[in-house]
Amino acid sequence: MTFLLALSAGFIAGAISGMGVGGGTLLVIYLTFICGVSQIESQGINLIYFLFCAAPALVFHIKNSLVEIKPALFSIASGVVAAAAGSFLASYIAVSTLRRFFGALLIYIGIKELFFREKPAEKGRAD
Amino acid sequence: MKRYAKFAVCGACAGLANGFFGAGGGLFLIPLFIRWCGLTEEKAFPTSVFVIFPLCVVSAAIYFANGAIDFVFALPYFIGGFSGGIVGGKYFKKIPAGALRRVFGALILYGGIKAAFFL
Repeated sequence: MTFLLALSAGFIAGAISGMGVGGGTLLVIYLTFICGVSQIESQGINLIYFLFCAAPALVFHIKNSLVEIKPALFSIASGVVAAAAGSFLASYIAVSTLRRFFGALLIYIGIKELFFREKPAEKGRAD
Repeated sequence: MKRYAKFAVCGACAGLANGFFGAGGGLFLIPLFIRWCGLTEEKAFPTSVFVIFPLCVVSAAIYFANGAIDFVFALPYFIGGFSGGIVGGKYFKKIPAGALRRVFGALILYGGIKAAFFL
């Protein structure tokens, strides 16, 4: 039963992530609030969960030439260094502090989603 | 700023957030890609997934090395996430969802207040 529940939660979060809304964030909330998993472990689970969830979608996106590969490589180069720094920082600070920071992030996302949502028709522009 | 330098700055922001919060890289990356780097919305989301994927590999490895992940407990989430990802990816273009996103926003806001102020 626990297994099925976890499977469903993963599936729902995965479907939402695949649509690009932020399923991973919901998964962390589910793990911490409902399952009582620690903030740091929930974040770790979410990171690996994302790999499983994004892999099939990524294959599909690359095939459809929706990925700007060359500029993305520049983002990846600087991103992996920053990701390592962020991860060490998260492991280093107290879990309760991490949780408060995560809460602040959620408040920011929630307010943005509720009150400042981008219009669907907005087009990207080049500077 | 040169176009590639902008992409590098975006990547650094996403990496820091992704490593620290274990989530939310795309949250910063997608708007930056659209508003600052001039990517179309159609390409911003897939490109952000492409960038975040290796960042998650790095972050996950560090979390794992620090002993923060119980694989047996987490396995069903991975299996569920994989199948959910296929379904979500397939219908990615059909996101409707004024109401759905409001529910999402309210849920996140509630979670945030709880996490930030009531430990």
